[in-house]
Amino acid sequence: MTKKLLNSTLRIYLIFSVFVFVVTAPLFYIIIQKLYIEDADEVLLLRKKEFVYYSIPDIHLSDIAIWNKINRDIKIEATKTTVQTDTLFYSNIYDTLNNELELYRVLNSPISIEGRQYCFVSKISLVESYDLIQHIVLLFSVVLILLLAGLYLITKRLSLRLWKPFYHTVNQIEQFEIDKNSQVELTDTTIEEFKRLNNSITKLIERNTIIYNSQREFIENAAHELQTPLAVFQAQIDTLIQNPDITEEQFGILNKLNDSAARLNKLNKNLLLLSKIDNNQFALSQQIVLNDIINKQIDFFKEQAAAKNISIKVELSDKTIINSNPVLAEILISNLFLNAIRHNIIGGNITVNLSNKLLTFYNTGNQQPLNKDRLFKRFSKINPSSEGNGLGLAIIKKITDINHWSIQYSYQNNLHIFEVNF
Amino acid sequence: MKILIVEDERELAESIQSYLHTNDIVCEMAFNIQTALDKIAQYEYDCVLLDLMLPDGNGFEILAELKKQDKTEGVIIISAKETLESRIEGFNLGADDYLTKPFHLSELLVRIQALIRRKKFKGNNMVSYHEIQIDILSKTVKVNTKLIDLTKKEIDLLLYLIGNENKVLSKSAIAEHLSGDMADMLDNHDFVYAHIKNLKRKLSDAKSGDYIKTVYGLGYKWQND
Repeated sequence: MTKKLLNSTLRIYLIFSVFVFVVTAPLFYIIIQKLYIEDADEVLLLRKKEFVYYSIPDIHLSDIAIWNKINRDIKIEATKTTVQTDTLFYSNIYDTLNNELELYRVLNSPISIEGRQYCFVSKISLVESYDLIQHIVLLFSVVLILLLAGLYLITKRLSLRLWKPFYHTVNQIEQFEIDKNSQVELTDTTIEEFKRLNNSITKLIERNTIIYNSQREFIENAAHELQTPLAVFQAQIDTLIQNPDITEEQFGILNKLNDSAARLNKLNKNLLLLSKIDNNQFALSQQIVLNDIINKQIDFFKEQAAAKNISIKVELSDKTIINSNPVLAEILISNLFLNAIRHNIIGGNITVNLSNKLLTFYNTGNQQPLNKDRLFKRFSKINPSSEGNGLGLAIIKKITDINHWSIQYSYQNNLHIFEVNF
Repeated sequence: MKILIVEDERELAESIQSYLHTNDIVCEMAFNIQTALDKIAQYEYDCVLLDLMLPDGNGFEILAELKKQDKTEGVIIISAKETLESRIEGFNLGADDYLTKPFHLSELLVRIQALIRRKKFKGNNMVSYHEIQIDILSKTVKVNTKLIDLTKKEIDLLLYLIGNENKVLSKSAIAEHLSGDMADMLDNHDFVYAHIKNLKRKLSDAKSGDYIKTVYGLGYKWQND
């Protein structure tokens, strides 16, 4: 599974944020609480100190009952004589007003009033302070969350902006097709890494385009250069068969040479055609009535089919207008016909159907489906001994590709089906 | 009839010369532009066969020169390079026909004959062979002044055979001629047999001579014996 780069960054941020929050919030709570207790203890001890310093000199034994009556938080108790030193502890004390137990911090401390031992008891309610701590922690959490959320959003927006040239470059590369003369336009960027990336890609594409073009030119030049020796070859055979002394056997050989020359010529022309398509020499397109092209070629192919005793049935239901280069459209149709005849069986049949911008060729043939993966590749001949040169379907594919049509092959009911969708 | 072959490939030029020679066509050869221009300046030709890629330049220069000098020579371009642009440029500069290499010599011959007919006998396009008369414009054929019914293809075949009189024609050459632009789409040449058979039958029905000879069952020849 792939993730977007930005999302991975944000995920790490998010995990970190949650971690920080989960760890710090309780820690913060505990520390604040500890500090508060320390504070409370100090207050209690101060109270005792003040009591010893200010109150004890004026207090008499008879005052103790009144003191205890008036003061709620500081009591003088006689009972706890076990208290030897200042003792601080928590205690739950029942609050009659609120009718519930409340937590207090309590100081028990031994004091002496007029020579008698008493216990100084002072307490501070922790209920209010707990509320405070809770509020502080809540506030802290809100600030923390805001901080992290802000960080997240800023990173996201910033990254989107920072990575924009990168995504642009990726889009451009995705749309680039070396065989369609497409151009890659990379936007200028001030970020060094992207600049390097763009420069490398531009160089890579330039180099590949040069190699591709030289390969294409090589095919074109090779095919052109072959035409002349082929012409000499052909002319010599034509001259030689005029010789009256030629025997039947020799004539047979010459005839075969003639056929081979014709095949070479066809192969050469097909190679040239492919490189011409690659070179955009058929870029001009116009509106064409597909029915007319089929009707124009049908006589020729019916004659060709008759030699193999193949019948052709043509069903053209709608008038179909397409946008294409007329030469290419004709080549497409003729190659489809040729393919259907060539790979047919003696006494077979072909049905051509045109309707709803869908042109379908059904033909009988070898009773097994063809390999779809290799079918449209150059020189991927299904039957090595057949007359074809392995370029016919490659040409068909090329023409459909540059016109943005689609071609599908299927095998149903013992019929090979080629379907062009315009 | 006099023809100038401008072609740097000697072997090809010589093959053309030897093939045309027996049809009363006198051929002269030029292997480069300079020689070609010199010859054109000195002599009158009925037709010029012009290769485009020549050692000292482009064959179009010769076309331009012919145009400049108001020469009436018919020109057939024979070139290995076939692009729409070169075709259009050729025709714009006054070429009459365009034949892409490789080609059959029999095809070249009938193209030359057709060109000469167009140039010389403006409008009066009749081809005769003994009792056979072909009107090319109206596409009608008469045997002993009697009209016979031939299809367009059969007339084409008849003209091709007569044009290549006494020449052995291979099935593939005939097939390619009959297929015209679609020649590259030919898969087999068996249909030639059917056309020859039909033509033969129609001619013999009209009491014409039996001129179509079979050569070892693989080729044909128009011959008056």
